[in-house]
Amino acid sequence: MIELRELEVRYGKRRVLHNINLTLKRGESLSIVGESGGGKTTLGLSIIGLVEGSVRGEILFDGTNLVALAEKEWKEIRWNRIAMVFQNVENALNPLYTVLDQVSEPIVAHKLGGRNEATRRAGELLSMVNLPTGRFFAYPHQLSGGEKQRVLIAMALANDPDLIILDEPTTALDALTRVEIINLMHTVCNERKLTILLLTHDFYAASTLSDRMAVLYAGRIVEFGSTPALLSNPRHPYTRGLLRCYPSMTTTKDLQGIKGRMEFVDVGCPFYPRCTQAIEKCRQGAPRLEEYDGRLIACHRGGIIPLLELRDLRKSFDSLNAVESIDLTLYEGETLALVGESGSGKTTTAKLIMGIFDATEGRIYLEGKQILGRDKSFYQRVQMIFQNPMEALGHRFSVREAVREPLDIQKLGNREQRESIVRHILEEVELPSSETFMNKYPHQLSQGEAQRVSIARALVLNPKLLIADEPTSALDASTQAKVVKLLLNLQEKRGIGMFFITHNLALARKISDRVAVMLRGNIVEEGPSNEIISNPLHPYTKDLLKAAPTLSSNVPLMPKQTSKKNDGFGCPYANRCDKALEVCFNEKPQLIIFGSHRIACMNLL
Amino acid sequence: MHINYWHELTRNNFGKLGLAMLCLVLFIAIFAPFLARYDPGEPSHTILMPPSFDHWLGTNDIGQDIWSRLLCGAKNSLLVALGVGVFTTLLSTVIGAAAALVGGLCDRILMRLIDALIVIPAFIVIILVAAYVLPNVWTLIFLISILTWQGGARLVRAQTLSLKERMSVYAARTFGANKRYIVIRHIIPNLSPILFAVFIHSATRGVFMEAGLAFLGIADISTVSWGLMMHHALRFYYLDVWKWWLIPTGLALSVTIMALVFIGHAFETAMDPRLRVMEQEDWQ
Repeated sequence: MIELRELEVRYGKRRVLHNINLTLKRGESLSIVGESGGGKTTLGLSIIGLVEGSVRGEILFDGTNLVALAEKEWKEIRWNRIAMVFQNVENALNPLYTVLDQVSEPIVAHKLGGRNEATRRAGELLSMVNLPTGRFFAYPHQLSGGEKQRVLIAMALANDPDLIILDEPTTALDALTRVEIINLMHTVCNERKLTILLLTHDFYAASTLSDRMAVLYAGRIVEFGSTPALLSNPRHPYTRGLLRCYPSMTTTKDLQGIKGRMEFVDVGCPFYPRCTQAIEKCRQGAPRLEEYDGRLIACHRGGIIPLLELRDLRKSFDSLNAVESIDLTLYEGETLALVGESGSGKTTTAKLIMGIFDATEGRIYLEGKQILGRDKSFYQRVQMIFQNPMEALGHRFSVREAVREPLDIQKLGNREQRESIVRHILEEVELPSSETFMNKYPHQLSQGEAQRVSIARALVLNPKLLIADEPTSALDASTQAKVVKLLLNLQEKRGIGMFFITHNLALARKISDRVAVMLRGNIVEEGPSNEIISNPLHPYTKDLLKAAPTLSSNVPLMPKQTSKKNDGFGCPYANRCDKALEVCFNEKPQLIIFGSHRIACMNLL
Repeated sequence: MHINYWHELTRNNFGKLGLAMLCLVLFIAIFAPFLARYDPGEPSHTILMPPSFDHWLGTNDIGQDIWSRLLCGAKNSLLVALGVGVFTTLLSTVIGAAAALVGGLCDRILMRLIDALIVIPAFIVIILVAAYVLPNVWTLIFLISILTWQGGARLVRAQTLSLKERMSVYAARTFGANKRYIVIRHIIPNLSPILFAVFIHSATRGVFMEAGLAFLGIADISTVSWGLMMHHALRFYYLDVWKWWLIPTGLALSVTIMALVFIGHAFETAMDPRLRVMEQEDWQ
């Protein structure tokens, strides 16, 4: 029904929209999401022919090119066939007219009926949008925000359009009113078979009102696909960044922002200055919108890249299988929490990645390339934070020497450069960079300070992947909170992929995008953090959740270990599981994909 | 645990005493030629004289001035202490660290070698060797060291094995450090307390063994050694000479050995956190 072809809008020299291609069929709903200033409203205004800038390209509306249309011809289309609910609720209504008059105005103006006819129809519309009859003769300033929004919707619907453009219809509304408006839009659009173009930064409105979603950044579409897919598995770094900023009841991770601010760059990928996985190519040319796995992504790297992939990783110490076949993927800028009790092989996995232990079997890929030997460049990209900071620092090194050690080993920069890098990184981890502090020895530091120093030295090489092995387990709660916040901020700033090892599911929930639960060397369940927390499937995950700290006074009942022999052939949880079947003791379940989870449990087969 | 050797030694009374005694012996050893009134090797006609103004501690059976010989004997003892200390420590370090760092077959061979050598009584072997060659001071240092490094090597190996597994060493490896860097920056600095202990211990044993062997007559007759002096003094036990010949010599030897033992003891206290008395400075 409406098709945008290479649409480009400029305000003077500034290009606000670049090469927008979109198609929308009748009855479909599409949301355009993005930060304010990204060009959403301009897109809406250019479709309805009200944009002030110069427009290039084509907007085909049922075959007519709207761009080429003269102002006279627009009258046929604007408000009759394409209507828009404007963003600014406060100013969109004329304060001198009652709402009934305002709603009837477009009907009269487009000569679709006489004044009486128009008033009757306006009344119908206002009732339809659930405005109380008593408010029909109110002036705009007498209405609440929600009521004004209803009036605006009624106005847009006045001439029975085919396409309705909703510009931030829910932004200024409180939660209950927002739900009412969304419900209203639902009913109205279903009844009238309206085509919706929703321009919003509110993911809730977008997820409830649209089937498909396009993410607009600095005038370009960076990701385009079906709404649920985009929301559950964002593939462009910007989409993920936006979702991380959006507080919702679905996500469990702490809010994170996107570094920097929006700039309109002339060459290169528009997101390049803020992107944490940018490479040289991204600076040179803008990526095209290309199809990857059923969605369109504009990214030179094909969306968020898998940073670390573990494939069938095994490690045995003589007869003990410390790690049995681990398959995990960690994406750029993401936190993957590896959760499990002590002795489950978490630290061994970390050491296998770092090359402290050699894997018995299996492959490790870093940014898509298999790691065969580890040289200095590997350790520039991958760093580890150890569990006990004091031990890891060693008592012979002052803070300065400890933080400088990686630079010394890698022979980066000269003395002064190293010194300034050390100072800079200490400030970044919120430690003093004074001479006194840098000359201190680990035993003169508090636990929290020591852990920050060890974080600083892990970051001094600017790694892409950080393996954090219980980095906060030795710290008290308030220090832990600070360290965790610090790590999340660093992730936001540098796009560090974090492999976070912990036994604390409550902590994992706040910092991780995905959780993998490990038991006796096996991954038993893996999935998005919110899914694992709200809907655990494996009995072990459920027990871990039960045992996770809460502030209630109830002590949960944990399952008792049965005396039945579990000699390692069966499920690793068989003798603690209350749903264990006979087969659980004899056969090891394989990891299978179950919804958004991967889970290894016989009960689900 | 960060150790400041000087500080650890001086804050302990034993350490202070040992250090003072060692300084005294060192002073004597260095300035003996100026303090001695006669050439210690020069015989004279006045034999077996009791102490007098000319000969403070009298003279021996061939008329040498005992006081001068006593002063010069310090040099011999300290030379043996230093020589055995350095040589044994070096052997222990190289062999112990090699066993620990290379590991595998090398470790097993070296450890069996140590097991074999440890049962050989050094003293008796040296007596046997001395039956063929009368050892001068350098041969003696070599013999003592080559026969007594095993204990130290074991210590060094054990410590290196534990150091190798330290988190800080793992951390250095995760920064891309090679073996050389780890040995130089992490292993050796952390071994130094152990090496110091091994040094003191073998120095003490060196002095003791040298004196013992000389006392038994196993020494080059031309060296001025306390052990040898006692060996000769004992032949005249029926005279009164032991009062000014045997006792001062024995005392000098005791002071030297005690000095080393006290330093070693003070240091051991510093090394073991359980014996360590926390002081204000440690918390700063």
